[in-house]
Amino acid sequence: MATEDSTGDQLGRSAALRLQQLKGQLFEVALVAATLVGIVSLLVLFAYISVDAFRPGTASPAWFLVYLGTLVAPTAAFTLYARRRPAVRTANAVAFAAVFGGLLLSAVTYAVVDALSPYDVFIYGVFASLPPMLVLAYDRTTEGQAYTGPLILVSILVGIGVAAVVDGPISGPLGIAAEWIMYFGLVTVPAALLVGTLTASRRGRRTGAVAGGAVAAGGLAVAGASIATGANASLLVVLFSAFVVPTGYVVRRSVRTNPAGRVGLAGPFVLLGGALLGAALVERFGIETPDTFLTPTLVLESWDGLTASNAGVYPQIVGSIIIVGFMAVLAFPVGIGAAIYLEEYAPNSGFRGRLATLLEVNISNLAGVPSVVYGLLGLALFRRTLGFGTGIVVSASGTLGLLILPIVIVSTQEALRSVPDDLRQGSYGMGASRWQTLREVVLPEAIPGTLTGTILALARAIGETAPLVIIAVATTTYSPPSGLFSSATALPLQIFAASANAKPEFRHGVVPAAAVVLLTLMLLMNATAIVIRNKYGRET
Amino acid sequence: MSESDSSPKIQTTIETGDEASRDAPLDARDTVIETRDLNVYYGDEQALDGVSMEIFEHDVTALIGPSGCGKSTFLRCINRMNDMIEVCRVEGDVEFGGKNVYDDDVDPVALRRKIGIVFQKPNPFPKSIRDNVAYGLKIQGYEGDVDERVEESLKAAALWDEVKDQLDSSGLDLSGGQQQRLCIARAIAPDPEVILMDEPTSALDPVAASKIEDLIDDLAEEYTVIIVTHNMQQAARISDRTAVFLTGGRLVEYDDTTKIFEDPEEQRVEDYITGKFG
Amino acid sequence: MSNESDSGVGSLQRSGFVVRKERLYGRLIAASAGLTILVTVGIILALSGRALSFWSQISPIAFFTGTNWSPVIANSYGVLPLISGTLIVTIFSALIALPIGLAAAIYLSEYASDTARSILKPALEILAGVPTVIYGYMALVYVTPLIDGFLPISVQLVPAGVPILPEFTLVMPSLGTFNALSASVVVGIMIIPMVSSISEDALSAVPDSLRQGGYGLGSTKFDVSTRIVVPSATSGIVASYVLAISRAIGETMAVTMAMGMSPQMPYFPNVLRNLAESSQTITAAMVQIAGADSYGSGPTYEAMFALGMTLFAITLIMNVLAELVRRRFREEY
Repeated sequence: MATEDSTGDQLGRSAALRLQQLKGQLFEVALVAATLVGIVSLLVLFAYISVDAFRPGTASPAWFLVYLGTLVAPTAAFTLYARRRPAVRTANAVAFAAVFGGLLLSAVTYAVVDALSPYDVFIYGVFASLPPMLVLAYDRTTEGQAYTGPLILVSILVGIGVAAVVDGPISGPLGIAAEWIMYFGLVTVPAALLVGTLTASRRGRRTGAVAGGAVAAGGLAVAGASIATGANASLLVVLFSAFVVPTGYVVRRSVRTNPAGRVGLAGPFVLLGGALLGAALVERFGIETPDTFLTPTLVLESWDGLTASNAGVYPQIVGSIIIVGFMAVLAFPVGIGAAIYLEEYAPNSGFRGRLATLLEVNISNLAGVPSVVYGLLGLALFRRTLGFGTGIVVSASGTLGLLILPIVIVSTQEALRSVPDDLRQGSYGMGASRWQTLREVVLPEAIPGTLTGTILALARAIGETAPLVIIAVATTTYSPPSGLFSSATALPLQIFAASANAKPEFRHGVVPAAAVVLLTLMLLMNATAIVIRNKYGRET
Repeated sequence: MSESDSSPKIQTTIETGDEASRDAPLDARDTVIETRDLNVYYGDEQALDGVSMEIFEHDVTALIGPSGCGKSTFLRCINRMNDMIEVCRVEGDVEFGGKNVYDDDVDPVALRRKIGIVFQKPNPFPKSIRDNVAYGLKIQGYEGDVDERVEESLKAAALWDEVKDQLDSSGLDLSGGQQQRLCIARAIAPDPEVILMDEPTSALDPVAASKIEDLIDDLAEEYTVIIVTHNMQQAARISDRTAVFLTGGRLVEYDDTTKIFEDPEEQRVEDYITGKFG
Repeated sequence: MSNESDSGVGSLQRSGFVVRKERLYGRLIAASAGLTILVTVGIILALSGRALSFWSQISPIAFFTGTNWSPVIANSYGVLPLISGTLIVTIFSALIALPIGLAAAIYLSEYASDTARSILKPALEILAGVPTVIYGYMALVYVTPLIDGFLPISVQLVPAGVPILPEFTLVMPSLGTFNALSASVVVGIMIIPMVSSISEDALSAVPDSLRQGGYGLGSTKFDVSTRIVVPSATSGIVASYVLAISRAIGETMAVTMAMGMSPQMPYFPNVLRNLAESSQTITAAMVQIAGADSYGSGPTYEAMFALGMTLFAITLIMNVLAELVRRRFREEY
């Protein structure tokens, strides 16, 4: 604050003002530094983990040169090329999502179904999906639509109940059929139906039927070929139906709707081709590869506490996926239902209004309860009250489900809150009931937000350890869970247990490698959530 | 519009929709809605004070008055949109076809299927144009030919020619005026008996507004229209009867529009209309 | 719906089945919401039954005032060493996270461009999303050796020969394999986003008119940020602090893995020694009991529930406190 000299002086930059400006700049620098310090420290620690897991130091320079030439440089060049052309960039993103999403989907489907027994999954799948489809078909032919909604729900539940009863008697005789037939029914048939319906909705019934039929025939052909060559028919059928078919469909759609970006579709194949070419060159010239712990053994074998190079976390990964998957089935409907009640149904005033406020406060408190305490709840509920065995999938899923319930509720509430009230008014004004408004207008708008929240909840659950320790989930099992009532372990538990092993090849080898796997899973989920949020978040 | 033959229910209304009635002198029309001593409170605040009025079939009834005079509240009472506001309390009768809509056995959802509403700000759903118009048909379980009804409604809302080639594109891609006509098409698709309009042109430019005004005149051939506006020229142009609400939620004068604008009984109404206040 | 056209009366209702169906859906949804109350009740029941049974064997006074936690060897259940361990981690992680989190919040709300915000916010969220077991592993294997490279450090605070005061040297000794410092560092990192995101909400909620007012008086951006915006958002910032501290208290895996399992009363007067050595938090003690052989019965097993009850009570009080503070701030605008 300058004094009352001449006005002209005051508008110039006095020394005092310049000092103030410097102070402001220093402050801003300090703020940036503070914002970055956490992120940078984490990146440094991630780098330590990755280096320990991958051990780039053990590779010969030639190895790096080969992959630089075949993998890194072409991919980087292609990405730079795509970046400046929006159409190409879109097609590139779509192709990446299809290829790697498809690969991941195939791997997870095969691993989970294989663990739970394809025959059992097939029986449950048929009994849970046929009745609702019959109800839907009946609904198409008649007019009384009021009963359809509840009937579908009931038919699924009854179907699962029937499956539980008949599973024993049927699975014996069913076992005569080859395993790949189960996968065909579980993966190829839905894929064919999906492709058929999607094609039919755009290009007419006949084309749809042809497309669906082509997918089914392709599945059969793949199975036949792999039986003839002695390959794993089940795995190839899954790969065909959950990777080749969706990738093919997406690529064709993209060529049709976004012809200008056609080149972008090559993106993932540049990457994969580069990796294959690199591997071939390394093999051909006998180049020394890194002595890494990120090997197929790690993700395909079971644990070995003595020899680090034999140790794998396949049962842990599949266990984590099954636990978290079943948790989603348990927790998401309840969480989303609770959020809908609080946002759309609960009044603001009167007795029920106060009840709703109580619920809100309660939920925000539950979100702050430490995760170990949920472990104690799980222990008391599943072990003592329900008498379940120690460390089985349902207990783990249930415990984690209770833990993430508040997260799901709060994020779904936010998603519902962001739907403009105008739309609700419009719908009510048309004579829609509350339920119809919800189903037709509010929920479709809230789906991206809800999806983001639920994926983040999954990411949180897959890393959760403390409650699983408390409910005494085993740290190591040597095969994935074979059912919901069989014992399982989870990846973070193995990391916890193995980090106590002071042998360097464990402490600075297998454990960071397992951590890389867990981090990859969790970062993939986070990235998916962020992509969905950015794509749909700002539209309204 | 009457060349279709598939939907008997709508057909009857449209054809026996009585051009005669629209041509009938104002005092020969039937009463559709009658309110008696209607009081509305928001918490402790009184928004309507003893409003009694009759609304006649095929009339365009304009409700005018300064902001906060209760005209919108009155409009939203008719199809019970005020039910959504928890602190809102309604006393008195609103009779629709001889039935008090605030009776216990009246379902507000069913009521709104007969008394549609168009809002101030166009609020098409984030769906395709077709799905927007078909929305009311869908939720009411309409069994006729939906596409045909969509076409009829868009034609009736004077929007068909502009959108007939892009029925599958989003309703949000339309201009403001088009969006509002889409909302009108959406409101008339399930064939209500009464259409309420809450300042339907105030968010639009003059050209778009005048299209809506023309449309309202056409709509009155088939429906009873009640429109809230604070644009007095608009009320004078399009309405058959005008109700003037003044501060405190009181209905001050209600008469033929020409009478209100040329020779109002009340000094306050004259002052308001000539712009002395409001 | 068939005879809809003429008399308003009959048609102003919907089919009873549809109404009943929708009421059923409404009830199902309300039941889901009600379930959340059952979760709280369940937690309280699950904890209190076993905890009360424990306190009927070991007196609460001995539990809350005892200075020795040695459930298996000495059959001694004094919780103070565990509370001390929890406090050490909480205080030092708060020293890291609270200023950094607030600074990040000010940057994001007042300074950052939209692009910077769209990158930094998700990046900060990742800090809270990394599994705590990985934080624990990183603290044990990387952070400890990294920090230990700079130690020991000693600073002579009061040199010899100063009248009245005794000679005093502050020594930060070398770190043990298990130590509170690296645990505090990683817990600090993981609670940064808790502070930054809630504080940022509070800062962003400060109306622009206040900022405009400040600029109108000739203030610099620094003045506006520190003298107008931050003070106006105090209660939101305080709430974020309380929640972050509550999270640090309940943190389990990182402290179990990095800080070890040796319950310890705090060292005085050289407080830094507490950081260099192993101790045990309430949560780590629970993990230790859960992993032990005494599983399923006995006072040690029930002690886990008593510890859980204590933890639940502490975090509940803090969460309610934060909620009350936050409510005040919501009313301000």
